[in-house]
Amino acid sequence: MKKRINIFRKTTVLLLILVTASTMISCDPDLFRDELPDTGSQVDNILPSADFSYRPDALDFKTIIFTDLSSESTDYMWDFGDGGTSMERDPVYTFSAGQGTYPVTLTASDKNGASNAKTIDVMVIDEFVPLPVTIINGDFDDGQNDWSFSSFTGGTTSPFNSSSDGSFTNYDGSDNGAKTAGAKWTKETSAGAYLSSNTRYAYQAIVVSPTTVDRTVKYILEYEYAIKTPLEQPGVAPGGNRIISEVLGAHFDDGADAVVSTPVSQFIASEVKGKTVHTLVEQEFTTNASGEMAIMFYAVTDVDVYIDNVKVYAAK
Amino acid sequence: MKHFKYLIFAVTGCIFLSCDTEEFLNPLPETAVAVEAFYQTDQDVLTGVIGIYDALQGVNENTTTSIGRSNRGVQFEHLLTEHRTDNTRNATLEGSKSDFHRYLVNANNVESEDYWQSMYEVIFRANNILDFIDIADENNQASYAAEAKFLRAYAYFNLVRLFGDVPLVTRVVNPEENELLFTRIATAQVYEQIVADLQEAVSVLNNGSKSRASKAAAQALLAKVYLTQANPNYTGAQQLCEAIVNGGEFSLMSDFYDVFYNELNDEIIFAIQYAAGDANESQSFSSEFTSAFRQGREDGQNIVNENLKADFDAYGGNRTAVSITDLGGVLEVDENEVAKFLPEGSDITTSPPSYGGNARNAGNDYIALRYADVLLMHAEAILAGGTETTSESAIDSYMEVKVRAGFDPVADRPALLTRDALLLERRVELAFENQRWFDLIRFGVADDVLSAHATEMGYVDYSTRALLLPIPAREINLSRGILTQNPGY
Repeated sequence: MKKRINIFRKTTVLLLILVTASTMISCDPDLFRDELPDTGSQVDNILPSADFSYRPDALDFKTIIFTDLSSESTDYMWDFGDGGTSMERDPVYTFSAGQGTYPVTLTASDKNGASNAKTIDVMVIDEFVPLPVTIINGDFDDGQNDWSFSSFTGGTTSPFNSSSDGSFTNYDGSDNGAKTAGAKWTKETSAGAYLSSNTRYAYQAIVVSPTTVDRTVKYILEYEYAIKTPLEQPGVAPGGNRIISEVLGAHFDDGADAVVSTPVSQFIASEVKGKTVHTLVEQEFTTNASGEMAIMFYAVTDVDVYIDNVKVYAAK
Repeated sequence: MKHFKYLIFAVTGCIFLSCDTEEFLNPLPETAVAVEAFYQTDQDVLTGVIGIYDALQGVNENTTTSIGRSNRGVQFEHLLTEHRTDNTRNATLEGSKSDFHRYLVNANNVESEDYWQSMYEVIFRANNILDFIDIADENNQASYAAEAKFLRAYAYFNLVRLFGDVPLVTRVVNPEENELLFTRIATAQVYEQIVADLQEAVSVLNNGSKSRASKAAAQALLAKVYLTQANPNYTGAQQLCEAIVNGGEFSLMSDFYDVFYNELNDEIIFAIQYAAGDANESQSFSSEFTSAFRQGREDGQNIVNENLKADFDAYGGNRTAVSITDLGGVLEVDENEVAKFLPEGSDITTSPPSYGGNARNAGNDYIALRYADVLLMHAEAILAGGTETTSESAIDSYMEVKVRAGFDPVADRPALLTRDALLLERRVELAFENQRWFDLIRFGVADDVLSAHATEMGYVDYSTRALLLPIPAREINLSRGILTQNPGY
């Protein structure tokens, strides 16, 4: 009997009343809940400030890489001005309509709901910068260096006859006041009717901006040449004394492969003005899809011919 | 009670003495040197000027490990600069020192905060000297002031490039002047102050010293400022570089090795000096650059990235062996170590290498400005923001540096100097001299180069926001809301 619980004992009744009362009172949400803001909590008065920067993707001008530079913010809402939006912090967005000015708005906000917006006119422009090409030893001051094939099956890798009878013009366009070094071909080193294992080809590989579906890229091969007059040296090769400049659509290790390939562009330089009178050639060509190209010079001549100041640059 | 009358005397005496409340309530501490009292003679002011350099020099971490107690000056600078470029990284991923190369630096980073404090300590000491300049001999006042202003400009130039807009304080302030102490001033305005200070230094100083400010140091620094500011002054920079070149007082060392191991040599324009073996005057970074056979407190800093080693192999010439080492083939291609600042007595040709007896108290100077830097800045000024130049004068300066590195003056001379080639030359010539970060920013390619680098290395936390370091959180808290944070932190 001693162990039986008497539910009507005083303490039990008291407990029951308390529990019941608590349950009923707790239905009033205001009673036990802490009040917000707490005493001691501070108002956040450092508010979001929106800002961003952007740069075009190197491979596609229509794709813009945005970077959030907002302060005091956690949430981001981008409106790209062409109907597109994003909630990312640093979105990458492609403006499919292409070139134009788009008012891009970034609304940066914090978790209190405070927000700030910034609009920047983003210019999407097709800014194509062609690769610069440096012709090594383009002024022939360094003799035959950098103009040879690495091998030549059935021929010679010697590129031309070194010569001190180049142009009066320096590589940077200034007047030297005297002859500069140049490259020379003679009857013995000619191709064409005089083709032999002694025929010399000057060759240099270049890398240019490739032509793509969207864009045709043109470069110019520039050089100066001179051909001796009949008074200076008699003789005319079959087809005329001439220098042939070619642009090839690939890089070649073996000269024999380069010679049989079909050039992308060919120019025949044949003005006969005399040993010291140089003619400027600007040979325009369209680049191939790989951007790996080469330039090659050779001559068909009975008399001495010269080239100098070889350059390659993007056409305007 | 027979001593009662003595007691009365004593008490009365105390009352009389205590009447001097000024003396009683504001006693001058006996051991401390109060600023007001310190500057009495010309020699005191000079000591104060030297004290500014001491703030740049910093305290060796091996001498006082507590970073709360002393500033490191420039001894942590490689973390804030080289580690944040494609040049180098930390050996391990532990601790705040390893956050820099992964672009994880936050506003509580102690090394970044230490650098901020060190630079403001330089500024404070410089401003303080300017306050007491009247005490110096009349003949010395102008040069002391110019020296202080050179150092103040030096500190602000570092701050503004690393943190962006910063508080601009040009006089001694009291702790209540919160607005002045903590209001961030636009970068352009900070540059105006830097330029004014350096112009004064150029016109007043002469070329007496390499370990203290000189005319040439001010010219070289001002040239770099002109190239860096938002509207570069290329003509001004070119003239300053030409003034140094034509002055004929500096020249390239014929052996690249001697630049680093023959202190204050002909090539040095301004260096911060350290003394080997002296706990108070030595530096810690030489020992921290070792890793495989570590000499420092850490596991290794400035570990050479593979991509820098590749540039060294292709373009370094005879600089490569002086700059980096694989310790005789022991280290992997992406784990080479810095060889430019080896502690005294090092011999890395042996296995294991020896680093002398006291690597942690190294004395190698910190090279702030040297002649090769000026030559390359000369070419950069002529390039004037363009992508290429055929200027013979620019190519001459560029080639002078290249030829010393063992390249051929004729065969390796380009007809056309491109911006990319110049940046590359600076990378291999000035590696580990804390220039790369500032070069990338100045050349306007930091975001391109570093985003590609971050992708290559898998540093996913890189963003354009990482181009500015965070303002230290402690400073923001002290400012009571005046100092604002950089975006992204």
